[in-house]
Amino acid sequence: MRYPNVFQPLTLNKLTLPNRIYSTAHAEVYAETGGMPGERYIRYYEEKAKGGLGLAICGGSSPVSIDVPQGSWRPVNLTTDRVIEPMSRLAETVHKHGMKIMIQATHMGRRSAYAGDPWPHLVSPSGVRELVHRGNAKIIEVEDIRRIIGDFAKAAKRVQDSGFDGIEISAAHQQLIDQFWSPRTNMRDDEWGGSLENRMRFGREVLSAVREAVGADFCVGIRMCADEFYDDGLSHDELRNIAQAMSETGLIDFISVIASGADTHNMIANCMPPMALPPEPFVHLAAGIKQVSKVPVLHAQGIRDVTQAERIIANGWVDMCGMTRAQIADPHMMLKVREGREDQIKQCVGANYCIDRQYFGQDVLCIQNAATSREATMPHVIRPTSGAKRRVVVVGAGPAGLEAARVSRARGHDVVLFERGDAVGGQVNLAAKAPQREQMSGIIRWFDMETKRIGVDRRLGVEASSDMILAEKPDVIILATGGTSHTGQVPDWGVEEGLAVSAWDILSEKVAPEKNVLLYDSISGHAGFGTADFMASRGSLVEIVTPDVKVGDDVGGTTFPIFYRRLYAQGMIPTPNTWLDRVYLEGNKKIAVLRNEYTEELEERVVDQVVIENGVKPNEKLYIELKDRSLNRGQTNIEALFAAKRQPALDEETGDGRFVMFRVGDCVSMHNIHAAIYDSLRLCKDL
Amino acid sequence: MGVAQAITLLFWIAAATLAFGLFRRARLWSAGQAATVNWWGLAAIPKRYFVDLHHVVARDPYIARAHVATAGGAVAALALVAVNYGLALYWPSLDWAILAAALAMLVGVAFIAWRRMPAPQRLSRGGWSRLPYSLAAFALGLALLTLLQPATLSAGIAVAALLLLLVGAAELALGIGTGGPMKHAVAGLLHLAFHPRPERFSGERSTALRPLDLETAKLGMAKPADFQWNQLLSFDACVQCGKCEAMCPAFAAGQPLNPKKVVQDLVVGLSGGTDAHYAGQPYPGMPVGQHGGEPEHKIVPNLIEPQTLWSCTTCRACVEECPMLIEHVDAIVGMRRNLNLTEGDAPNKAAETLANLRETETQGGFRNSTRYNWAIDLNVRTIAPGERVDVLLIAGEGAFEMRYQRTLCALVKAMQAAGVDFAVMGDLERDTGDTARRLGDEATFQALAHRHIATLKSLSFARIVTPDPHVLHSLRNEYKALGGHFTVVHHTGLLAQLVRDGKLKFSAATDAAQAITYHDPCYLGRYNGEFEAPRELLRALGLPVREMERSGPRARCCGGGGGAPLTDIPGKQRIPDMRMADAKQTGANIVAVACPQCTAMLEGVVGDRPEVLDIAELVANAIEVHA
Repeated sequence: MRYPNVFQPLTLNKLTLPNRIYSTAHAEVYAETGGMPGERYIRYYEEKAKGGLGLAICGGSSPVSIDVPQGSWRPVNLTTDRVIEPMSRLAETVHKHGMKIMIQATHMGRRSAYAGDPWPHLVSPSGVRELVHRGNAKIIEVEDIRRIIGDFAKAAKRVQDSGFDGIEISAAHQQLIDQFWSPRTNMRDDEWGGSLENRMRFGREVLSAVREAVGADFCVGIRMCADEFYDDGLSHDELRNIAQAMSETGLIDFISVIASGADTHNMIANCMPPMALPPEPFVHLAAGIKQVSKVPVLHAQGIRDVTQAERIIANGWVDMCGMTRAQIADPHMMLKVREGREDQIKQCVGANYCIDRQYFGQDVLCIQNAATSREATMPHVIRPTSGAKRRVVVVGAGPAGLEAARVSRARGHDVVLFERGDAVGGQVNLAAKAPQREQMSGIIRWFDMETKRIGVDRRLGVEASSDMILAEKPDVIILATGGTSHTGQVPDWGVEEGLAVSAWDILSEKVAPEKNVLLYDSISGHAGFGTADFMASRGSLVEIVTPDVKVGDDVGGTTFPIFYRRLYAQGMIPTPNTWLDRVYLEGNKKIAVLRNEYTEELEERVVDQVVIENGVKPNEKLYIELKDRSLNRGQTNIEALFAAKRQPALDEETGDGRFVMFRVGDCVSMHNIHAAIYDSLRLCKDL
Repeated sequence: MGVAQAITLLFWIAAATLAFGLFRRARLWSAGQAATVNWWGLAAIPKRYFVDLHHVVARDPYIARAHVATAGGAVAALALVAVNYGLALYWPSLDWAILAAALAMLVGVAFIAWRRMPAPQRLSRGGWSRLPYSLAAFALGLALLTLLQPATLSAGIAVAALLLLLVGAAELALGIGTGGPMKHAVAGLLHLAFHPRPERFSGERSTALRPLDLETAKLGMAKPADFQWNQLLSFDACVQCGKCEAMCPAFAAGQPLNPKKVVQDLVVGLSGGTDAHYAGQPYPGMPVGQHGGEPEHKIVPNLIEPQTLWSCTTCRACVEECPMLIEHVDAIVGMRRNLNLTEGDAPNKAAETLANLRETETQGGFRNSTRYNWAIDLNVRTIAPGERVDVLLIAGEGAFEMRYQRTLCALVKAMQAAGVDFAVMGDLERDTGDTARRLGDEATFQALAHRHIATLKSLSFARIVTPDPHVLHSLRNEYKALGGHFTVVHHTGLLAQLVRDGKLKFSAATDAAQAITYHDPCYLGRYNGEFEAPRELLRALGLPVREMERSGPRARCCGGGGGAPLTDIPGKQRIPDMRMADAKQTGANIVAVACPQCTAMLEGVVGDRPEVLDIAELVANAIEVHA
């Protein structure tokens, strides 16, 4: 029997779960106005249920009280009875597929920004301000405490009345309950502070009230931290004591464990470990909690593969593994495991596009799966067409081209995929060269295997010309030719004259990094910093110059801290708010002329090498050659595209030299990986 | 003495010789164990011969016709000679009739001789190569003697004709006594009368193994004399046509088994001697002439090596094919019983599996309570004593295997879609004991069966549905003898019924790219006669079946039955690989299966091959598209 431990059922209170994998509570940012789960929210969870998942805990940080602003992460609003109806629909929908569902309930305390509806005065045990959310808070009063305990109980009852299978009370990520626990935020000297017993009082009373509201048979758990990693915060030993005490209250049925505090930018990066961190970086801390807990212990953080989960559970470290980002990347993961189709699982690589979007206040999307959370319009499983079988030629095997080829082939068409390089992957292969970004290649690995498995006719190492494309007698041409490094935008950078090189030259190892390097990054994404890191790791002294307000400005909340750790550790010099005007030669040195955005003051740097990261310039050659010959003049009907409808041009009669043509991804204009894949999925799903 | 008197004399000498030979042979058979037989079987010989046996023989029309002419001619001629010459009537008119019979026989013999030019590998040589010519001599001699009147007969020709007749008569009369090829005629007819499974003649498939009385001293067959006397008789009926050998999957895979040789070795054993005279193909990899036996000598390993017995998949292809209706599988399991129960022999993984069955009531050593773990999120009811349910689903050992859980989930989905009132047994279910029984461990089988029967009797259900034909066979056929009478349906039978009743509807759009072939599980097809329901379902799904050359009753085994994957006797190739090659030959890209063993065996085939999908999966997929 494969995965005997993962497929060993687990009983929590009266609830029997079919396997040991679940999706943890996370901020989806899908709830509709007013914090109601709508169609998108329900479909997102239904897809996990269809995919064979046994348990999902939804609604990360869903507030129980009205003095928690909800704008920035759009949680489920547990403060009102109005939520019961939509939550019931959610529960009913996932129950049809055999999945259990719980929701996380919390009070954020100071962990918010007051500056939004309902413009509250935030509360915290000692009114200590939080950095990350700029959370100014008042010192919580006993009246507030009583009110909030009552709110927890009322919210729990709503959850139960909705037909949910359980509730998870959050005492993690330094929300109100663990703000009471932690000496970092609780300096009170009344009965709510001081001794550990006093600091635990609020959480204990919350759990008592919740248990009283829902009765003995309803599943109630807590989520807590196993180590805050702050000198003045809760240590692992202290949290073990808390976990033991909580498990011995008889009030809870499970403890879900994560590690790391979250009230500084640097610590947040640990919470959802990005690819730079090793696999399952904190399982030892969860195992420490498991040693003292009287109830089952659940743990998520960097568990990406079911064999990893099998080993963790087999070793007895924890009882159940959360694989949340893994489910975002592939909601059918468990089904594929059950069916022995592990090779078809789209595995999370830890790019953290999902959570980084959330920190920008945007809805959670997957870098490699454009169907996730778009279940109403985008299919996770591509069904064969019942219409005509076409001949589709895709040019370029970056993410856009690979997705176009994959989806077209899965629709049942004959697909030829041309790629100039010897391997598929396009720019992602370059992205994976950066230190601690190697796992980006996992995105390509899946496409590589899938396109082979389903029978795409792949022509690698072939630079397609118009004649070659037409010789394939295509009905449909999809250009995904990507672009080139856009270093020619400012002639004074001197790239033509060899005064500066591109970031691509460095990452592809065409040009070796020199000793003293100025990297000019006008994009502030992963590419510029990755290149800087690539050079610094090889001994270069790197100065990063950018006109943005900070270096790596377009990198999200769980990724820029990783970059900054490496920036400062390797002595890189960040120079934001500065333009590169020109480069000239003096002896064998390059002189870079810099201009401050705000003072217009000019400065010069004497360096060995200037490296430019200025994004991507589309490759348009084939498009221009073929545009007039295509029936639709290369035009994608954006009304149909945005409405997820079939392209009207596909109704044209094709064949005998008549074809329609579309462009996707960077060969139109510079986009990211998710956008490239989404372009192709929405275009090709109705092909 | 004239020619006619010479014939009379020859007839009576031959008759006496035959009678004496039969007496000697019968004494050998009587060394066997007592058997309950119905002597009225003797009266049933003509029907059993002309209907039941001919039904099998007629599958090969060439030899059927040749045999009708030869044997029919011979029997007619002998009967007429008995009357005309035995009773010394010497009527010329009867001579014409004898001539006609002899000519018919001659024509038949000519075809039989022709088939041996050259003889297919499966046919034994030796005495069998001689037979057409000695029979021809008999027919020719008789024809000459009746055609040419004594008056016109020169002495030389008369003597020559009489000599021909003598040669032929010797073949016919000495066969039974000396073990010559014509032994088959006498033993064969008596075998039809005293067949160990007489119910086969009243249209039953009769495939259940007989329970072994575990209280007796004889635990299975240690020596030839441990077989029932009518089983010994049945071995003597063998005509060494090798049809069993040609269908045996283990033989084809180069494993050391040849069902024909097993029967012939037992003939050697019952009559004493060595296998040196055996003139057919040997057990692959084992030279002939190094084994021998006596009725009271141990069979294994003197006469038959254990790996020969452990190679059998109990697929019954040999039994299905045998024109003499011999029961090879009963013999092999009988000998396995002795090996296992008295010597504890069970090679490779078989011993571990039997230990698991004894200790955990599962083959893989699982906890019974985990058998329905796969159903936890399917909203499936678990039956409890006192609760009534229409259908009781019994999943079998496949429930512990993730691949097969896919099939089970699909089946549950289909039953739920059709609104079937069903429940599973949960931790009350245990292994049916099929594998233990085939491996010869009758004690473990009976222990499991008795407990299972008691549990089932405590539950309230109308019928049992199982996707596992091995479970089906135990519950439906083999538990009867132990007091368990249940209505048991295979899942394909149930699903086909649901489609017929309009309770299951499929979407019209099926993938035109799907080319399907169907692999008949032995325990569903040959053991239980169910060939149609799976095909009916595939038709209902709009998937025309591309039949393999060996399909239906003659389907080739996947290699998964009889505990063969556990005993794992090496050969030159793997049986499932051969079966997959059969499937590939049809051009199919999907092999539909209906058994967990077949699923596992065929999915174990490496390389580029069609996908293996249970019919339940195909059904469930079609429902999904519809919904």
